[in-house]
Amino acid sequence: MVGKTVTLTGNLAAGKAAEMAKPKVIAVYPITPQTDIIEYLSGLVSSGKLEARFITVESEHSALAACAGAAWAGVRTFTATSSQGLLYMGEWVFWSGYGRLPIVMPVVNRCLAPGWSIFVDLQDSMAFRDAGWIQIYTKNNQEVFDTVLQAFKIGESKDISLPVMPCLDGFVLSHTTAKVELPDPEEAYSFVGDYSDPVVEVDVDNPWAYGGLVGPEQFNIARRDLMKAMERAKAKIIKVNKEFEETFGRSYGNGLVEQYGDDDADLTLITMGTMGDEADEAIDQLKQEGYKVNGVRVRTFRPFPVEDIVRIAKKNHKLFILDRAVSFGHEGPLRIEIEAALKRYNLDIPTSGDIVGLGGESVPYKRIMKIAKEALRS
Amino acid sequence: MGTKLKDLMNNPKEVFYKGHFACAGCGSALALRHAIGAIADKVILVVPASCTSVYQGSGKGVSFNVPTINTAFASSDSVASGIKAAMEIKGKDVHVVVWAGDGGTADIGIATLIGACDREEDILHIMYSNNVYSNTGGQRSGDTPIGARTSTTPDGNTTARKMVPFIMMADNAKYVATASVAHLTDLVDKVKKAVSLKGFKFIQIDATCPVAWKVDFSNSIEVARLAVQTGIWPLFEWERDTGKVIISRPSQKYLDKENRKPIKEWTEIQGRFRGVTEKQLKALDADTDRQWNFIKKFL
Repeated sequence: MVGKTVTLTGNLAAGKAAEMAKPKVIAVYPITPQTDIIEYLSGLVSSGKLEARFITVESEHSALAACAGAAWAGVRTFTATSSQGLLYMGEWVFWSGYGRLPIVMPVVNRCLAPGWSIFVDLQDSMAFRDAGWIQIYTKNNQEVFDTVLQAFKIGESKDISLPVMPCLDGFVLSHTTAKVELPDPEEAYSFVGDYSDPVVEVDVDNPWAYGGLVGPEQFNIARRDLMKAMERAKAKIIKVNKEFEETFGRSYGNGLVEQYGDDDADLTLITMGTMGDEADEAIDQLKQEGYKVNGVRVRTFRPFPVEDIVRIAKKNHKLFILDRAVSFGHEGPLRIEIEAALKRYNLDIPTSGDIVGLGGESVPYKRIMKIAKEALRS
Repeated sequence: MGTKLKDLMNNPKEVFYKGHFACAGCGSALALRHAIGAIADKVILVVPASCTSVYQGSGKGVSFNVPTINTAFASSDSVASGIKAAMEIKGKDVHVVVWAGDGGTADIGIATLIGACDREEDILHIMYSNNVYSNTGGQRSGDTPIGARTSTTPDGNTTARKMVPFIMMADNAKYVATASVAHLTDLVDKVKKAVSLKGFKFIQIDATCPVAWKVDFSNSIEVARLAVQTGIWPLFEWERDTGKVIISRPSQKYLDKENRKPIKEWTEIQGRFRGVTEKQLKALDADTDRQWNFIKKFL
């Protein structure tokens, strides 16, 4: 088979990527707007097209717990969730991050109740930035597919061994059909490779205890090792992004951030997710009107691309950050991280920003143009 | 199956290395040594938060000689399901066994337990029942008997214990049994039978906690024996395929209430029942009858 161009929703793009990576255990619990991902995979397992155990558990808490069990047994695992479901599995999000279990779990970003809404903001996954997961935010359905495929390769690398959360905006991507180039499945699988050398593999003949009591010394060794793994993950994500480009002809900036525009612009807009795609359009339109605006889309929120942000900030001193989540009592989480990155490098660059798009509020390019013009005036 | 006393010393391998952290007279550690020891060559143990997560030892000093996955409290059967699924895919024939207390089974663990049961996961859940949250200092659990003082029921527990075996029968488990640390050969028989069957198996063991029950550790076995003799803890097996209950040999005599020792003989050697009222004892007796009447329906 060869690759082909099709139209897919973001959810099906995630499902197809998982299919091509051939996970062995998939444990799931349904939540809007994630359901198409798991329904698609259930069909594949039931028809025998995908050789895996598909476990329909009684809660998200158990979905991730079952994936963790399978990961401890050394096989490739997959699940997906969203919003309240992510919160409900929260204990296991931390457990699998700190336990270094390389589960791949797309999160279809949806706001948190109350009020009750099924539409996008990034409050759900942002709540788990400290859980030891690699988080990669996507801008379109093609990137959803590519990122889910890359996630297995990144997380399962023996020098990383971390779970990965590819994030896609609920409905804007999950339920919207768009063009996606699918690779030849065999080529896709060979890109990911077998999960043949797991760090952890529970074995009757070689008994070990996992997750038990430890004293402060061992505890700190484990946590510091996780910190180092996250730091190594930056280079790994860059490398996988490059290899992906060599194999399939697509890449996303350097893997950590994607820049659109010029360094010498008068303003840099920093965004995440689909807002990045709208920002690109806004930048094109603004250019026609004579404005010079640069766009930076933060792709990996964890590990956070401190060096890239600093490099760009040094060249362009006017930064405007668009957040789609809030850290109540402070600012948007993206802005907090960027300000901290600048401070770490003693860069005295004031930032400005806004919190937009909460609860599925639309952030089209026209609105971003308006925001950019105001920022340029101030 | 006919396990003999001398067989208890001939397990495939010893579960414990030297130096576990369990208290003297701990029913859980004793039960684990024999129940898991009997199948130790093929077992993967899944342990939610409990005394067992502590007494296995710490760091490099883990005393268990079987692979052990410690899990978050409310999810042991889900973790076990994932392990079993992975092992099946890998073509490895192993017994995945959840070893959980009454909190991790009857209370916070009930959703994961029933979820795995209704999916017919091929795992064995062993609930070692010490009737309280022993590891956190003896707070009431859903498994606490009427009248028992715990650190959160200073005047004695007022409600009947949650009978998880009955719940598992209703949820159509493959095999359900009760056992006691006072009858280890019977326990080993039941564990061996459970792992010979494919599907979800459940065994609840009455496992003395000398600390929470306030009994001298030298009476650890005696109090469990009295639970059988007073009828407080009926030993039985139930199989889905027959739909029948079989009263286990140590309990057969006590099917007839006339033969049971007075419940007071069980309560009086336990400090947790000090100050128990006649009303509470009456309620405890009525609850014991309720359990037997339930079981009798399946004879």
